[in-house]
Amino acid sequence: MVDAAEGVLALEWIDGKSVRFLLGGGAEGEEEEDAEDEEPEDADVGGQGHDDDPLSEYGVTQEGVMAMVGAEIAKMHRADIIHGDLTTSNMMLRHPRADKGLQLVLIDFGLAYTSTLVEDKAVDLYVLERAFASTHPASEPLFASVLRAYQAGMGRDWGAISKRLDDVRLRGRKRSMVG
Amino acid sequence: MPGRIRKRSPLKKPERPYIALGLEGSANKLGAGIIKHGPDGSTTVMSNVRHTYITPPGEGFLPRDTAQHHRDWALTVINDALSKAQISLHDIDCICFTQGPGMGAPLSSVALVARTLSLLYNKPLVGVNHCVGHIEMGRQITGAQNPVVLYVSGGNTQVIAYSQQRYRIFGETLDIAVGNCLDRFARVIDLSNDPSPGYNIEQEAKRGKRLVPLPYTTKGMDISLSGILTSAEAYVQDKRYRPDGATASGSDDIITPQDLCFSLQETVFAMLVEITERAMAHISSKEVLIVGGVGCNERLQDMMGIMAKERGGSVFATDERFCIDNGIMIAQAGLLSFRMGHRTPLTKSSCTQRFRTDEVHVAWRA
Repeated sequence: MVDAAEGVLALEWIDGKSVRFLLGGGAEGEEEEDAEDEEPEDADVGGQGHDDDPLSEYGVTQEGVMAMVGAEIAKMHRADIIHGDLTTSNMMLRHPRADKGLQLVLIDFGLAYTSTLVEDKAVDLYVLERAFASTHPASEPLFASVLRAYQAGMGRDWGAISKRLDDVRLRGRKRSMVG
Repeated sequence: MPGRIRKRSPLKKPERPYIALGLEGSANKLGAGIIKHGPDGSTTVMSNVRHTYITPPGEGFLPRDTAQHHRDWALTVINDALSKAQISLHDIDCICFTQGPGMGAPLSSVALVARTLSLLYNKPLVGVNHCVGHIEMGRQITGAQNPVVLYVSGGNTQVIAYSQQRYRIFGETLDIAVGNCLDRFARVIDLSNDPSPGYNIEQEAKRGKRLVPLPYTTKGMDISLSGILTSAEAYVQDKRYRPDGATASGSDDIITPQDLCFSLQETVFAMLVEITERAMAHISSKEVLIVGGVGCNERLQDMMGIMAKERGGSVFATDERFCIDNGIMIAQAGLLSFRMGHRTPLTKSSCTQRFRTDEVHVAWRA
């Protein structure tokens, strides 16, 4: 919140991690190096070495997080707010607290605007879908559960948005036109 | 938060020097390049020869004429590359060629040359995705580790990030490519195509003073450019437009071709910087690598530099030898996949105009 007249800037500390991190979308500053000069680390297949799931401390499954994402976006779209930059980096999972349970928080509304158009909502979802595909490679079932929760949240409006989303997906160049 | 995770590259150091010939002809440039990967992990550009098909002002290059140009020049360019590298075709390990994306006719005429050489000298063929060629050459030349790649050329406009053995497309153009947009505008105001229309636009833009309003069309992570081109073209019909703007005094309410070049560049590049910045924010990368012909544009490099500096990062760009389509990048990407054991059998060596960057399995990176 910004109150320019009073010179006040209010920020909220969200005690949690980004959804991108929690889904194992890679840590910051990963590096590659040449094959030699290094002890072989056979266990480290793919380099990420997930021994424990970071989600366990939140007491929720990936599926559960996806449902929260979908529900949260639906809530926002029902208020005709378009986020404009939906990615898993812009979502945080807040540790459960006594008064409220586990919360999913959308952040970074720098590109947000209000719109009632189906097109804008569909593009908003499409941005998220692309962000999923480019950061979380095995993402298709995950994004499907986001959409399921979104559908439940949007009710009647879902039909039009879903149809438009299919249109938006067909845009772009050099798509394979087979089948 | 875990610290820096080091991943081991699956690419082993070569036990002997490997040499590859790369042939590129997806658009109006015909290129042949020879690259060597040494056992000490070094990469040497042995030669990099290019011949460009230049059309008169006001005209673009048509597939049939471009293919004819490539057929006329193929032998000269390849011989030139070989003599500059001081080797013969017998010393080469593999012949790499552009399999797509690009214009069909020029692609197939160059692929035909590659197949013929492969059969004559009994060398394996390696088909290369043109975009991956650009990315790998950019990484090699600049030493950027894991950058967000902005690939901007006459046929492609993509923001790419690497993840799990694929170059994944974050955002791209929904209609025409940015180079195409600039080139076509150059035709409208009758700029020369020599050395390239984009270069001439850049020079004109330096003398532009007035920023005319143009649409700003980012769509999610994607951008759309065809409408901007139409708007810019419409200014040429405006009654304030003076084709010979140089003679006017500063106070007149006029629009010059220079102003339009300037406005077009500023608007389009701002959009590119925006989508690149969002990709950087998402994958937390501090490096941007600009590749492709439009990547030579110094104004684009400047604008990207300002953005990267504000994020505490840096821009990597190459000069025209490696930005503009060339044979060496095809050799580089081809040799990397050759060293991972990839071969393109003759029966699978046909070209495709639609060959997306994210279809390629990047076996040589962790």
